[in-house]
Amino acid sequence: MASVAELKEKHAAATASVNSLRERLRQRREMLLDTDVARYSKAQGRAPVSFQPTDLVCCRTLQGHSGKVYSLDWTPEKNWIVSASQDGRLIVWNALTSQKTHAIKLHCPWVMTCAFAPNGQSVACGGLDSACSIFNLNSQADRDGNMPVSRILTGHKGYVSSCQYVPDQETRLITSSGDQTCVLWDVTTGQRISIFGGEFPSGHTADVQSVSINSSNTNMFVSGSCDATVRLWDIRIASRAVRTYHGHEGDVNSVKFFPDGHRFGTGSEDGTCRLFDMRTGHQLQVYSREPDRNDNELPAVTSIAFSISGRLLFAGYSNGDCYVWDTLLAEVVLNLGNLQNSHDGRISCLGMSSDGSALCTGSWDKNLKIWAFSGHRKIV
Amino acid sequence: MSVLTCVIESMGSSCSRPHSLNEAEAAENAKSADIDRRILQETKAEQHIHKLLLLGAGESGKSTIFKQIKLLFQTGFDEAELRSYTSVIHANVYQTIKVLYDGAKELAQVEPDSSKYVLSPDNQETGEKLSEVGANLDYPLLNKETVEDVRKLWQDPAIQETYSRGSILQVPDCAQYFMNNLDRLAEVDYIPTKEDVLHARVRTNGVVEIQFSPLGESKRGGEVYRLYDVGGQRNERRKWIHLFEGVNAVIFCAAISEYDQMLFEDETKNRMMETKELFDWVLKQRCFEKTSFMLFLNKFDMFERKIQKVPLSVCEWFKDYQPTAPGKQEVEHAYEFVKKKFEELYFQSSKPDRVDRVFKIYRTTALDQKLVKKTFKLIDESMRRSREGA
Repeated sequence: MASVAELKEKHAAATASVNSLRERLRQRREMLLDTDVARYSKAQGRAPVSFQPTDLVCCRTLQGHSGKVYSLDWTPEKNWIVSASQDGRLIVWNALTSQKTHAIKLHCPWVMTCAFAPNGQSVACGGLDSACSIFNLNSQADRDGNMPVSRILTGHKGYVSSCQYVPDQETRLITSSGDQTCVLWDVTTGQRISIFGGEFPSGHTADVQSVSINSSNTNMFVSGSCDATVRLWDIRIASRAVRTYHGHEGDVNSVKFFPDGHRFGTGSEDGTCRLFDMRTGHQLQVYSREPDRNDNELPAVTSIAFSISGRLLFAGYSNGDCYVWDTLLAEVVLNLGNLQNSHDGRISCLGMSSDGSALCTGSWDKNLKIWAFSGHRKIV
Repeated sequence: MSVLTCVIESMGSSCSRPHSLNEAEAAENAKSADIDRRILQETKAEQHIHKLLLLGAGESGKSTIFKQIKLLFQTGFDEAELRSYTSVIHANVYQTIKVLYDGAKELAQVEPDSSKYVLSPDNQETGEKLSEVGANLDYPLLNKETVEDVRKLWQDPAIQETYSRGSILQVPDCAQYFMNNLDRLAEVDYIPTKEDVLHARVRTNGVVEIQFSPLGESKRGGEVYRLYDVGGQRNERRKWIHLFEGVNAVIFCAAISEYDQMLFEDETKNRMMETKELFDWVLKQRCFEKTSFMLFLNKFDMFERKIQKVPLSVCEWFKDYQPTAPGKQEVEHAYEFVKKKFEELYFQSSKPDRVDRVFKIYRTTALDQKLVKKTFKLIDESMRRSREGA
């Protein structure tokens, strides 16, 4: 029987071996990657997307939260938005009229994520309570205006950082957690259908921050983590990740599938966004800001979203900037943070409406803002 | 329908039809206004509540403080709650004996005088059996037979020898207390006492909170507190600490008795160094720029006993410590030295514009109810004074 010391030695040797293989792999990829999306597009003579500062305007400011906004989600059908705040509330807004339709006081105020169910009748939220709570918006509020929870999904051993319903399936939801796992839940029974990571090898080795389900193939989803990687999962095979994507140099705070479902974007604490090819694992493009004059640390990317065609990549930053990137040419076409009426603090979340006509941003300044495309171009 | 189109249309309509908004819109507006009113009301109602956040490394005593507050200022634990701790306490017994048994095996392999750590063959068999039980997450309840087994093992000289080396293993602080009470714990109608509950070690899963009023809520001028313990999160604090921006005070627990112990999560790391790093990190967080800090130098009772046997200087942070005379004076001298180190760290880690936030140090022994009560009385006074001054 091996002694503890021997096992420790073996472990160290194995780790060193994995690291050297990983480095060789990285070098090989670099060799094969002779260009990135931007350089190729420019070489092809692609014109930058024409964008004026007036093409995207802040048409609504949603006020009402008494604490920092942490998360938001649009309904797939109507133009409703649910937002979660450090004040311990979920608020449901009619985006067209900016009126509030529901305000739900949560049992655990430390909420970090919220999501709308595909039919728009329920909302899910989770946070430091390490659980995901589901509310049916049609339930009767009690005398004090409090809404009953319809289900609590427990099982995570750490905070719930993000949640997303499987498109077109009211009954299934995927969560990501500080316990390094993602979980697929059956909402009707409250059971965990599958656990991705954790005890199984090839799972994340640090807190998972974000998930994105591929709308073109809902069996696949990606997860971004503090271990600086993104992992691709097939929900039918929980025992190992399909692929791991390296490249970022810090926590991956946000992941989003590209509209065609073959690529996905990421946003990280390292200040960059990246575009990866799902199938090959190649890092197709890095979206990197100019360092500022004082050479301060780059602000972190907190959340990202693609326009409906994918030509635009929206990225929210910890310093309140909200860049609109030309995905193809890797250039910033607009900074919503510089416009009139912009947020006064960190952008913590953002999301595109399902018809692609508006972007909603949420901030630590306690507000949400809706930015609509105007002028000749309604939708990009 | 695109959002902007709707905005333009509704702008037009509200200008030209001030009196005849259709019913649905009116109802929607009324509901929204209602919600705004309710939010305002609820926010106002909570403004006077002092929010306190308990922070500290694992096993610094946060949960014990939390339980003490519950016992002191709330209705304490009712019978159902006390009973709910039975399985936890029994699990603690199995966990403890397993750590000791596995520890003895390991020491027997790596220590030069290994014979000290070898159990009698009979006890080895018992040890293997108990270790198996401890390996599952679903512990059975203790009964007369298992208690006999546990006691036999506990009394084996090899196990006692291992226990004396407890600081290099992960032997929980509650070990001695539970081993001394085995018979009572295994009684058929056992209901945990408050003291049993205070010693019990359970990992909370998320965040626990408790609202209390030291003077009683009915008394006028009685301050209301809400205490949060986020001890259950074993992950990246930086990802959620900012949720607590706006709390009135951080209560940071540091177990000063652990200067010679290693972390549970990483046995190469000294616990005191971990606490030092954590305190430094918390002090520098932007979200706590204006937050008061209460530093609890905890587990003083264990510190007192340990200082006689293990010099402070074994911890890198305290390596410049010079002992004076043995005995009671030494304890005070050592304590003042540690306190000074924390003070220095506080001022080093606080930017100039933060130096005037409130910072107080308290010597505590979380298991000592009277002391905790006294400490909270002091904190209560301090918070009231700072609120009046503000």
